[in-house]
Amino acid sequence: MKSTVSEVDLARRWLVTVSAGGAVAGLAGIGVPGRAQTKSLPPVAAFKDADATIVHSANGIETRRSAFGTSGITDVDVLFLRNNASPPAESIVADPDAWRVEIDGVVSPRVLTVAELKRIGLASVAMVLPCSGNGRGFFPHKPSGSPWTVGAAGNTLWSGVPMRDVVRLLGGVQGGMRYMTSTGGETFPAGIDPKTVVVERSVPWTEMENAILAWELNGRPIPLAHGGPLRLIIPGYYGVNNIKYVKRIAFTPDETAANIQSSSYRVREIGQKGNPSQPSMWQMNLKSFVTHPSENGQTLRAGPLQVHGVAFSGGTPIRAVEVSADGGRTWHAAQFFGPDMGPYAWRQFVLPVTLQPGSYLITSRAIGADGSVQPELRIENERGYAHNGWRDHAVAVTVT
Amino acid sequence: MPGRALVLALFLAGPAVAAGDELGREVFTTLAQPPCALCHTLRAAAATGAVGPSLDEIQPDRQRVVAVVRDGIGVMPSFEGKLSDEQIEAVAEFVAKATRGE
Repeated sequence: MKSTVSEVDLARRWLVTVSAGGAVAGLAGIGVPGRAQTKSLPPVAAFKDADATIVHSANGIETRRSAFGTSGITDVDVLFLRNNASPPAESIVADPDAWRVEIDGVVSPRVLTVAELKRIGLASVAMVLPCSGNGRGFFPHKPSGSPWTVGAAGNTLWSGVPMRDVVRLLGGVQGGMRYMTSTGGETFPAGIDPKTVVVERSVPWTEMENAILAWELNGRPIPLAHGGPLRLIIPGYYGVNNIKYVKRIAFTPDETAANIQSSSYRVREIGQKGNPSQPSMWQMNLKSFVTHPSENGQTLRAGPLQVHGVAFSGGTPIRAVEVSADGGRTWHAAQFFGPDMGPYAWRQFVLPVTLQPGSYLITSRAIGADGSVQPELRIENERGYAHNGWRDHAVAVTVT
Repeated sequence: MPGRALVLALFLAGPAVAAGDELGREVFTTLAQPPCALCHTLRAAAATGAVGPSLDEIQPDRQRVVAVVRDGIGVMPSFEGKLSDEQIEAVAEFVAKATRGE
């Protein structure tokens, strides 16, 4: 931090760019919490910590950047919530063991209860669960959907039976199947064609090697809000693929024709409609962000500061994280802290800095074991998906 | 008390209802297939659908409604080809007016 003047200029220039290029990029994110505070937590998520979350809607709740803590796991009380359709009745979690899931597209199709699943096998995985649209609030074209900034993601622990064990028990996958297609237990009123609005997602069938049929989240039965009594967990995949209250898993020759697969969650240029030829929101990309300092426009006291944050990917181990306090002009290697919970979890990083009075733009970039580097800029796309650019995720602070 | 009666009448009428609003309301409650009201709550249409978000809560602007009705979002289907441009514009105006007063 030699030249305070240039840092000020740089931060200012960035802010100017933001407000000229589409005020919303930065300001949408800042403005949202204020507006959201007028909304209260919906009944399904009444157990959450209102002060630690931003309520966008009854089906969209975000973790505040300041609320992730430094112990590595995101508590259910602060974990983000996103539902594509209203959840089923709370009564389905009253007796989790009685929940039934149909397994099809295997040699011996069968309906199994959770109680039966518990006798087949056991596994546990730590994984980042990110909404596809996390970071959407930074897109200047204001895509439809919740304007999340950083908090539609959390690092979570899931326990259940490995899907491959279930498949093996049922004689293996039938020949010619290319997808694992999972269906949620949401119910729809008469008059709606369930085939089109159903929450049903297809992923490459080989993901069954990694997938878990989970009944436990962070050591407790999965609450309804997060997909209890049974949720399909596909480590490294965006949240939407991790089907809640899963009632059917079928190996299929084709992707489902449901809207949520065929036209939604497709990455395309701004102004284009979604269609099955476009990339689907499957595996997540390399990303990091600082969680402290956490407030844009915050004023800090001069002196030592522990800049910390989280870094993750869709399964590539994180080799290193660099932190910049001058908007990306200079980078410094951060240290990892806390446990390494595997390739699907996030790694926490910290960089001790000493800040003189001035303006700073603090951000981070992750480097994967394969040499890939988190990019500077977002890739513009219609629905505001997969934002991993480090520039928009920076936090501007003033030190006095 | 004629004064009070008049105030009450105005209050009941709510925001002034223009002719265009009638088409918007009709699209919302019956013309769209499936009707918006089946999945969305909107007080102005006496709709209590609970599949998708409450429009009273998310208060989408006109442009947002048009975009979502044309393209679909999440589990919601696209209504392009099922509703005319006029119907889409009308329902967007109806929803925006009802929830944002614009």
